[in-house]
Amino acid sequence: MANLNIRATEENSYDAIIIGSGVTGGWAAKELTEKGLKVLMLERGRKLDHVTDYENATKAPWEFEHAGLMTMEQKRTHPKLTRDGFYDATTDGYWMKDVDALYHEDKRFDWFRPNIVGGKSILWGRQSYRWSDFDFEANAKEGIAVDWPIRYKDIAPWYSYVEKHAGISGEKLGLPQLPDSEFLPPMEMFCVEKEVRKRIEKNFPGRTMTIGRVANLSEARKEQLGVGRAPCQYRNKCRLGCPYGAYFSSQSCTLPPAAATGLLTLRPDSIVAEILYDENKQRATGVRVVDSETLDEREYSAKIIFVCGSAMASAGILLNSTSNRFPNGLGNDSEQLGHNLMDHHFHVGANGKWEGDLDKYYYGRRANGIYIPRYRNIGKDKRDYVRGFGYQGGGRRGDWKHNVAELSFGATYKDAATKPGPWTMGLIAFGETLPYYENRMYLHKTDKDKWGLPLIVFDAEFKENEKKMRIDMANDAAEMLETSGLKNVKPYDTGSYPGMAIHEMGTARMGRDPKTSVLNAHNQIHAVPNVFMTDGACMTSSSCVNPSLTYMALTARAADHAVKELKKKNL
Amino acid sequence: MNRREAVQRISLLMGGVALSGPVVSGILGEKTHFGDSVYATPQQEKLLAELADVIIPTTDTPGAKAAGAEQFIIRVIRDCHPMEEQKEFYASLDTFEKDSKAAFGKGFVALTNDQKVSMVKKLIETDRNFFKRMKNYTAVGYFTSEIGATQALEYLETPGRLEACIPIKPGQKAWALG
Repeated sequence: MANLNIRATEENSYDAIIIGSGVTGGWAAKELTEKGLKVLMLERGRKLDHVTDYENATKAPWEFEHAGLMTMEQKRTHPKLTRDGFYDATTDGYWMKDVDALYHEDKRFDWFRPNIVGGKSILWGRQSYRWSDFDFEANAKEGIAVDWPIRYKDIAPWYSYVEKHAGISGEKLGLPQLPDSEFLPPMEMFCVEKEVRKRIEKNFPGRTMTIGRVANLSEARKEQLGVGRAPCQYRNKCRLGCPYGAYFSSQSCTLPPAAATGLLTLRPDSIVAEILYDENKQRATGVRVVDSETLDEREYSAKIIFVCGSAMASAGILLNSTSNRFPNGLGNDSEQLGHNLMDHHFHVGANGKWEGDLDKYYYGRRANGIYIPRYRNIGKDKRDYVRGFGYQGGGRRGDWKHNVAELSFGATYKDAATKPGPWTMGLIAFGETLPYYENRMYLHKTDKDKWGLPLIVFDAEFKENEKKMRIDMANDAAEMLETSGLKNVKPYDTGSYPGMAIHEMGTARMGRDPKTSVLNAHNQIHAVPNVFMTDGACMTSSSCVNPSLTYMALTARAADHAVKELKKKNL
Repeated sequence: MNRREAVQRISLLMGGVALSGPVVSGILGEKTHFGDSVYATPQQEKLLAELADVIIPTTDTPGAKAAGAEQFIIRVIRDCHPMEEQKEFYASLDTFEKDSKAAFGKGFVALTNDQKVSMVKKLIETDRNFFKRMKNYTAVGYFTSEIGATQALEYLETPGRLEACIPIKPGQKAWALG
């Protein structure tokens, strides 16, 4: 194997290495190259060129062999991903196969790992919300885990910075618990949603419902047109990749400006096995990479490293980066690495039927829903649990599927199926999960995958606080829908396992004290300041709102700090 | 290093145990064989087409047979169901044909339209699961076919704008795409 191991040479040297090309890796690449750094981006997934590689995005329904139904072969190769609905036949080629990319579960964990350049920035739900000081102050106020080392004022300008470039569509509300972004025009609500909003605001003081804040260009401005993006065409096929570049992905938004600098080298099929550490310099010096296709090994060196491989994979890389100085994983003096694993808990809410508006319809397919911001444990509201939840959801009018389960057939059935069906409306809650030290992922001592890397083992569960919250999550949804005039309202709780919401976080948390946290206020590893982690691993608590926008802002902020520190020769 | 060599290296990582043919082809991403699938006979294919066409007949737009829904059904039964369910599906179809012969002395394909409808009504009582599966796949196959999506429904690939709350037009068909 020695002949495969190419040592880092001059041509393998860069100013910065970025591990991962998703939401945060893309932002790191844009910021660092625009500030003049020579950057190597390593992505374990395959090449996925913007527009030309979005194979399924422009297919008509009759061009799919099985109309998107799951085949036995897909079930065989994705035994874990097929346990839940997010993986589907049309995005099959974007995900890793469970049968290759193995992991173990002490407790069930649904791990959604894309196998493409762009990572989850291609597949994400695009819901984009700012966190607030309700989130950043919660741990300190309640004496839970450790305090965030930053507050809203530290991140607010960086939210503005990333929002202007990414393009976030939404409505200003002026709520303290859900600060407004730099918005593009909001998308319109369906008639039923407009009415339900009025009734919720009237009957439940302190609650409101707004249109989802979403990283789709409801209008393309100079910042977006300049990188070759076009406004949303309302096709609602975002997950397949957008031929118009109308939603935020690395390919549409951050990689083009990075590539335009001429300073970015992107290597797909490159699995980072470990970060290399020099005990004399007390700095990371580079990475060891395994080629996912050939299994060749290679080393690259750089002055700084941005770890943006997604929360679980990034923590796995650090745990696998051992040395005399760090026998339990790079920067793991606190023994917190891999712990405090969080994900939102969901799959709970209510649905109902709306009998009105049969004379109303819509034009265009809105790739967005509604949002009900958190109202629990805010102001005078006090529950038997801490933190809170928000709702996504929305109204829809039935299509040809609306009467397929009936026993009708023939011309009457066909005629009814080809007409718009009834309106329905649903709410699905996303709840905050507390950071528990015992919720963790770790590396298996002996089992390895086909690339020779130790398997990650998951050992995390939702606990009492989350379980109590779920009762409100179902009941409140049903109460709001019923009070708003929906009929046949049914609350549901179909169960939620960590990983399922794909908002995994917390495995290398930020904090003020190196004894109790892995990263500092600028996402640097306390003891190895030239390594930055800005993906979900860095999160000290989980809030109840979608985290990607916060990862973007933290990444841009950390990149700015990194370059300033490099110039001061502090790294 | 080519892919086969890479696989050889994997076998070394797995302790030097020689991998069997099917395992190697699986790692290489080739389709591996999991026993036989049930293929429809030409008679069964015809029968499926006729049955689908009773569920979604030609009206002012072409029906399921014109859209080739039976090809979709055969494909989905073959690729998306375990062997046991495949056998069950075709056994139900054969029973349906036998019942037709018992009732009218003729196979389903040769029946008059009214006789076909009465057979399907009977099927709903005698083998509801089969009817439901058949109806579901007929509907999916039809409404995602070019004929179903563009003629029976209103097909619009690229709307270009959103109007979320507008009066419905007279005779408005449901949108083909969700």
